[in-house]
Amino acid sequence: MRPAHPKEAAQKPTNFIEPARPQPSMSSREEPLSIPERDFILEALGQNLRLDGRQFDEYRPLNISFGEEYGHVKLQLGKTSIIVRISAEITKPFEDRPFDGSFNINMELSNMGSPAWENGRSNDLEPYVLEALDRIIRHSNALDTESLCILKGVSCWAIRADIHVIDFDGNITDAACIGVMAGLQHFRRPDSVVKDGRVIVYGLEQRVPCFNDSKQVIVDATRKEEQAAEGDLVIGINSAGDVCYISKHAGAPIDAMLIVTKTNLAWEKVKVLNAIVDKALQADLSKRADFGMADESRAANDRLIQPE
Amino acid sequence: MVSPILSQLNRPDGSAAYKCPATGYNILGAVNGPVELPARRDALKPEEATVEVFVKPGTTTAGVAERYVEGILRSVLGKVVLGREKGFPRRGVIITLAIAGGENMDRGDSYLTILPSLLHAALLSMISASVPLSMTFSAALFGVTKTGDIVRDPSPTAAKASVSLHVFAISSKGHLLLNESEGRFDFDTWELVHQRALSVCQGTASADGDVTMGEGAASASLHGLIREAVEDQIYSDYAYKLDSI
Amino acid sequence: MQSVTRPPQNNHSDTALNLDPTILLPPGYYQHTYMQSGNMSAPAVLLPSDEVPRDNLPTDNSNPLRLGPGLRILSQPSSKGSDHVLTATQAGMLSIDAKRNAASLLTFPNRRYIPTVNDFVIAQIHHSSADFFHCVITPHTPHALLGQLSFEGASKKTRPMLKQGEMVYARVQSVGVGAGAEVELTCVSAATGKAEGGMGPLSGGMVFDVSTGMAARLIRASSAPVENTDPIEGLVVLSELGRKLESLGGFEIAVGRNGKVWVDCSDAAEGAVKATIAIGRCLQETDQQNLHAHDQKKLVTKVLRELKLVS
Repeated sequence: MRPAHPKEAAQKPTNFIEPARPQPSMSSREEPLSIPERDFILEALGQNLRLDGRQFDEYRPLNISFGEEYGHVKLQLGKTSIIVRISAEITKPFEDRPFDGSFNINMELSNMGSPAWENGRSNDLEPYVLEALDRIIRHSNALDTESLCILKGVSCWAIRADIHVIDFDGNITDAACIGVMAGLQHFRRPDSVVKDGRVIVYGLEQRVPCFNDSKQVIVDATRKEEQAAEGDLVIGINSAGDVCYISKHAGAPIDAMLIVTKTNLAWEKVKVLNAIVDKALQADLSKRADFGMADESRAANDRLIQPE
Repeated sequence: MVSPILSQLNRPDGSAAYKCPATGYNILGAVNGPVELPARRDALKPEEATVEVFVKPGTTTAGVAERYVEGILRSVLGKVVLGREKGFPRRGVIITLAIAGGENMDRGDSYLTILPSLLHAALLSMISASVPLSMTFSAALFGVTKTGDIVRDPSPTAAKASVSLHVFAISSKGHLLLNESEGRFDFDTWELVHQRALSVCQGTASADGDVTMGEGAASASLHGLIREAVEDQIYSDYAYKLDSI
Repeated sequence: MQSVTRPPQNNHSDTALNLDPTILLPPGYYQHTYMQSGNMSAPAVLLPSDEVPRDNLPTDNSNPLRLGPGLRILSQPSSKGSDHVLTATQAGMLSIDAKRNAASLLTFPNRRYIPTVNDFVIAQIHHSSADFFHCVITPHTPHALLGQLSFEGASKKTRPMLKQGEMVYARVQSVGVGAGAEVELTCVSAATGKAEGGMGPLSGGMVFDVSTGMAARLIRASSAPVENTDPIEGLVVLSELGRKLESLGGFEIAVGRNGKVWVDCSDAAEGAVKATIAIGRCLQETDQQNLHAHDQKKLVTKVLRELKLVS
């Protein structure tokens, strides 16, 4: 969907502390927050309180489960709920990169996730989330595209991640990122050509703190908290602890020291989130083993439905 | 049999998850309505609601096939929505159906195999959103094999091998709401399949002796399945009322 | 009527329930064996096109039968002239009120609110024009109109200057006829010219979203007679909160049929924000998890303890 070239990443300005700009509508066409709601949310944050009783640095309950097919993830983060489906097909590699397969992330926001989203029309949120995912998962080579090559210059795998937001209550950047990463780790390529048949994935997670005018920073904002926020900051960290993405999209300016401290917080959260993903993967694996489905070659054979 | 689940999503006005036990298709449906349709104000019917259907494939971008099946769905669903009830004229009822699980469909595959699941998910979502309806319905897919056997809910592979495929939607009153067929068949075959569809949907033994009673007797009718799913959800939503009785 | 003063049970009012009197059947249509209203074994769940079982209908022949939304009357020609049947157009549980001679359907609580005359709603100002405030009742539906002078004692000079995003507690005055009709709201009672039941701008406090079913339930519960000490509509959450927060100064709530609840605890001074959060969380969890009466009490205790409002 999106133009994809790693060079883009290099051109991104490194100066992410930008002057205050009006916060873009993070949830396109969503009815604006009422004054009592906005005032109250901010007043409560001023007293270190969130409406759902969470701490500022606390995520909502994260629930990950897998479908029958490989690479089919159901993820719930509080009341935000998404489905990620990973699929693969054989295609011809790009002329200039004969050794590389391709990987694309696709997200279309439909009327299901929120009545504010119109079917078949893109809105502001879509490119915002896709860019973050693109940078964090694709451009940082979280996925080893070289392993997707089948025959140099002739055929390769095109891996595709489809994100379906089925219930929106804020923070789809995190939900989508965790979902895609879990999906990639769960996915088995439908081939027996390449040994192991596994997409090589280096774990990565990320988080979104969100802050308001009094400089309170909260993670995993709900939809209403997002609407009341003055700005947001996205930090992507891979499982090795390297920061691979920082985005200060728009909104109120932010103190540089805050980015440093929040990056440390992000690293803590990444470890927790990774553990949850790993646990879900293990649970799914043992479930499949019970059904005698863990046999990878068999699973691969079952899926040999690709036309030549 | 996995029974459909209603109203599990928070944001849409109504939603349903339907998994077809035979084909494995897992459809998630959501309905918002009555809502304003800003984009196509001119095209709106002035006196009644406009039904919009959007089918979202699981692992591809929607294309011609989806637009085609949306057209079929729109015409069936438009017939059962009471678009002149209070609050609905000039507004939209937006139905979004996502193919959340099941085998991927290749380009050019027949969409008939998934049509019954889409119809059920759409109907249940509309019921969950309390969109006024004149009737309910259920739908079934049949394949006719080379030997002339009628197979209910053939798997996608079996469907490809079939000589003809038929989808019937039968209303709760026994009307034929939808008849989509493809392949080669004669009228007698169609009539046989039609009788079979009536018995599968309504759960009544047909006058025609040919109908195998196996599935009709063992599993409840499709109408019954829909009714049970709705009853379950209503009883759980109004558990507080039931306790007091 | 929904502006519940402290403690909440004290509130009652004679305002009519929000039953839509769309169709009034002349008396005498249903002459069947008399059944007491409470003796149905399991309440009937109707699907669209299902007929209302006649045995369940009230048989008071002196008054017309009132039909709520989701039910309609169809005439069927038969050998003895025309026959009337009641059918459902939505799915729901049949609810018969023998006293008021009314039949209605309890439909899915998640549904979208459709404005009905006399309903109390909490509307959000979207913008204002020369004569009207344009308000949002439910998202993504056309704006409802609230006259600039439809406030108690409002004149050109004294009318409230409401900004975008402010909220009002108002009553649906009319929904118009036919397609494209506009919904009109008012903040004064037509009979007295006063802002009864707490109508008017809502300042301060917090607005929580609940399902439309929960909103209807809260309203039904609050209009029940005072002497009724049993949990009404299975709801004890508000009375429990009222009892436990009384020492803090109590709270005020207003329920809009459009699924919004306004909560204000400004009398609670320092504890105001915490108490408001507690009330919102209790209401939303009761709604979303369909809690039973004893679970509601547990929830109230748990939430208040978490927020350190009670020891």
